[in-house]
Amino acid sequence: MFTRKEFLQYIALLAGGAYAAGCRTPGAYDHIGGSILGASAAAGHQLRDGLSVSPQKTIRTGVLIAGGGVAGLSAARKLRLSGKTDFLLAELEPQTGGNSLSGGNSITNFPFGAHYLPLPNPENTALMDFLTEAGLLKGFDKGLPVYDELSLVYEPAERLYRKGRWQEGIIPQVGLSPQEHDEMKRFLALMQTFRDAKDSSGRHAFDIPAALSSRDPQFLSLDALTMEAWLQREGFRSEPLRWYVDYCCRDDYGAGIKTVSAWAGIHYFAARRGKAANADASAVLTWPEGNGRLVQHLRRHSHNQTLTGTIVYRVQTEGNTVLADCWNYQTREAMRIVADHCILAMPQFIGRRILGETPGPQFTYAPWLVANVHLRELPVDKNLPVCWDNVIYGQQSLGYIYAQHQTTDRRPAKSHVITLYWPLDQLEPADSRRKALQLQHRDWVELCMAQLEQGHPHIAKLVTAVDCWIWGHGMIRPIPGFMTTEIPGTPPRVHFAHSDLSGISIFEEAFYQGESAAMRCLG
Amino acid sequence: MGSNRSMHLLLLLSVFVIATCGLIYELVAGTLASYLLGDSVTQFSTIIGAYLFSMGIGAFFSRYFTKNLLSWFIQLEILVGLVGGISACLLFLLFDHVASFRIVLYLLVGLTGTLVGLEIPLLMNILKNRMEFQDMVSQVFTFDYIGALLASIIFPLVLVPQLGLMKTSFFFGILNTAVALVVLFRFRKEVKWAGYLTVKAILVTGLLVAGFIFSDKMMDFAESAAFNEQIIYSRSSPYQRVVLTRHKDDVRLYLNGNLQFSSRDEYRYHEALVHPPMMHHPDPRRVLILGGGDGLAAREVLRYPHIDSITLVDLDPAVTELFGGNTMLAGLNDSSLLDPKLRIVNTDAFQWLRSPHQPYDVVIIDFPDPSGYSVGKLYTNTFYQLLQRVLTMESVVVIQCTSPYVAPKSFWCIDQTMRHTGFQTLPYHCYVPSFGEWGYIMGSLRAPADRGDALPGGLRSFSRESFAQMRYFPPDMQAHDLPVNKLNNQALVHLFEKEWAGWQ
Repeated sequence: MFTRKEFLQYIALLAGGAYAAGCRTPGAYDHIGGSILGASAAAGHQLRDGLSVSPQKTIRTGVLIAGGGVAGLSAARKLRLSGKTDFLLAELEPQTGGNSLSGGNSITNFPFGAHYLPLPNPENTALMDFLTEAGLLKGFDKGLPVYDELSLVYEPAERLYRKGRWQEGIIPQVGLSPQEHDEMKRFLALMQTFRDAKDSSGRHAFDIPAALSSRDPQFLSLDALTMEAWLQREGFRSEPLRWYVDYCCRDDYGAGIKTVSAWAGIHYFAARRGKAANADASAVLTWPEGNGRLVQHLRRHSHNQTLTGTIVYRVQTEGNTVLADCWNYQTREAMRIVADHCILAMPQFIGRRILGETPGPQFTYAPWLVANVHLRELPVDKNLPVCWDNVIYGQQSLGYIYAQHQTTDRRPAKSHVITLYWPLDQLEPADSRRKALQLQHRDWVELCMAQLEQGHPHIAKLVTAVDCWIWGHGMIRPIPGFMTTEIPGTPPRVHFAHSDLSGISIFEEAFYQGESAAMRCLG
Repeated sequence: MGSNRSMHLLLLLSVFVIATCGLIYELVAGTLASYLLGDSVTQFSTIIGAYLFSMGIGAFFSRYFTKNLLSWFIQLEILVGLVGGISACLLFLLFDHVASFRIVLYLLVGLTGTLVGLEIPLLMNILKNRMEFQDMVSQVFTFDYIGALLASIIFPLVLVPQLGLMKTSFFFGILNTAVALVVLFRFRKEVKWAGYLTVKAILVTGLLVAGFIFSDKMMDFAESAAFNEQIIYSRSSPYQRVVLTRHKDDVRLYLNGNLQFSSRDEYRYHEALVHPPMMHHPDPRRVLILGGGDGLAAREVLRYPHIDSITLVDLDPAVTELFGGNTMLAGLNDSSLLDPKLRIVNTDAFQWLRSPHQPYDVVIIDFPDPSGYSVGKLYTNTFYQLLQRVLTMESVVVIQCTSPYVAPKSFWCIDQTMRHTGFQTLPYHCYVPSFGEWGYIMGSLRAPADRGDALPGGLRSFSRESFAQMRYFPPDMQAHDLPVNKLNNQALVHLFEKEWAGWQ
């Protein structure tokens, strides 16, 4: 349990200076409702603590997909499109979607997790095929994909609050000293060099899926040091640049430059080469419900073959079959699924335990808070209106996205939802996770409001509710050594599928891992 | 006796205040009528006539007050304060809600006049036992006329510019109730029902003070600074700030501070907007108007007798209701919004187009200028693609496209965007004095061609001859190599902002 001192220390760490206990007016947030939501940690922990019941029935299937996140759903899609319809998908939660979960009210949908997809790289035809199938890619013009313009992020896309004003874009640009400016330019130019770089065999230095990246030591050696050490080595010392790179790493990995490898840090900037006939290369695809939109398209392939509320708690092989023991905590029914193949579409820290193994030490996961803040009105700011992505410089949270940005409706909404993203990387993951789960709703409200108030001093009176979603194991962290450490094999007919295998928790990796596992089942 | 002397001095001072208030109410009503209804000579003359006549009625009825004169006088002051004090506020607020605004106006003028007409005779009856008759008549009328002089001087020089009509009338209402309170206090031993009257006077005074304080909120006179004309209506709908102004016979509509039309020359704008697409369609029957909630474009469409239907999609019910329900404004659009052929849909045009509809022959797009990201979405390629869902190959579209003189890049960016989505375009422009040189782009899925049908009668500026000139763009209205305006670049909003920055 928490001691009072530990509690205050943790709060202070999370707030990172944006919170001064006792300074605010007492009761200033009493009107703010909402609750703490989150993945079924309790159900998950049953698994950790060992669950064993004797199965009441046996089901036979071709492929069992255990886990209905993006990897599992993508595996199911791949199986179906390959003509393999004999499969079942078991999902612990009441609904599939994993990190791309979304919610909604009568006014708008909003994300609880992942919320955008950058333009796919030109070689990533598998992903483009999926986008075509979903109606999000409309065709090609002179070889370049034409994306659905209702889904491309609308202008103005991003803004940054720094030195008392909002500026366009997230890269600090306004008010930099000439030296800071030059360093920023040099860094971005260097990243462009990495983006263009290929090894002798013609592989891109950095690619998405990460597995297709070059294995050449000149690039792979970057896995040996942290991003911070690399910045230091290359003479990047200016504060705005360090903040920007740290911000990007925390955004994609839930961990900053002190934690992630230089390989991963550079991958963020150098692996995206997507282009579009009708948008800038920096464009992204996004929707009010975030990647919930992509999940909605994926789900159609496994719609009637999904068992929700079902934990797969033990998997073993026997001859040419895989035996998976499941527990449905809704019907309180135990069953055994006998399959030709099993795809463990779940992170290693769960999957290895199901196999009776121990996960490799390189698999560490960042806890996150995603808070949906419901507002009566949007804050009105000088310089720039609320954009899609709104970042406040130097904060512990990553800022917020505005769900209703992607609407063409001019009728003013009666309520608005902004989603605050906050990697809880101020302590080691296990410690931070344990403490985060002990904080009360009112603690989170105060923390979230303190973050928002830095850019919007009077926002509290506009806020009606804050719904906090805590992702205990939100993202795999690509720490030094991750990319160069071998992942142990699996029993025959058992295949892992999860973005943590790539070390990078993004939709493209989960999609790729799902498809790869499906293809291994198909032989 | 000293106290008697001070008593009658007090009553004479009351005469002075009463006289000032009385004339102020008359001036407020007259000014308001000419602001709201125009034609100031008629309005002023009839208001003054009605007011004076009502005063006569009041004077006539004064004979029926024989007992408790002081109490009745106090009662009367409270009532005059209330009616006169809230009159301006009431008239402003009722202006757009009442079909027969004139009746309300004259009723209020009549009531105020009658009450004011009672005041002096009643006061003279009170004073008759306290003074010599000759002295009394001379003094009462002296103070009466001095008060009137003061009112007539401070009203135009101080009150209207400093306080505005609403605050002025609240202020003088407060003076009336103050007279009631002072008299009540000074003569409390002689007054009957003193307690009741005190409570009543305080309540009314409180109400008027509140009105005085909050009148800025009720109608934002601060805005007057932004407009050269007198504001006759202003309201914040959930969508925008709607302001109507009048200067002499020129009525202007501003949405969020941007001029939408001036009644003096809007015919030039609307004739150029509507008749070109109509003459480029062989048989226009179904017409769609997007925006245009003022009904002025619809008025031009209704000049064609063979039109079957007009669908008008405008975001803001506050605008369509104002221009449909108010007699003065319906006079501007010839009651087009009440025409049985016209159907009003109050919704967002983008959302409306996303649901299925029968195709239209002519589509008239009269959106506000692309001055922000929200409205900028209505000028994107995505919107124009959506628009094509309600078009046939014959259909003709016209879009108001800001000024090609002030903002040539913005104008040609819209042209580029339309062409990019498959429209063949025909840009043109027209001079509208209150706007300057104004631009339009006509588009069709095949090259728009003049069908040669006769234009309707009654047009004041548009003709085939003038149209030939409208199509010529001199070099100072041209721009090249412009981007396509998209949701993900909002190129037009950026161009528009830059180009207009130097002009506003």
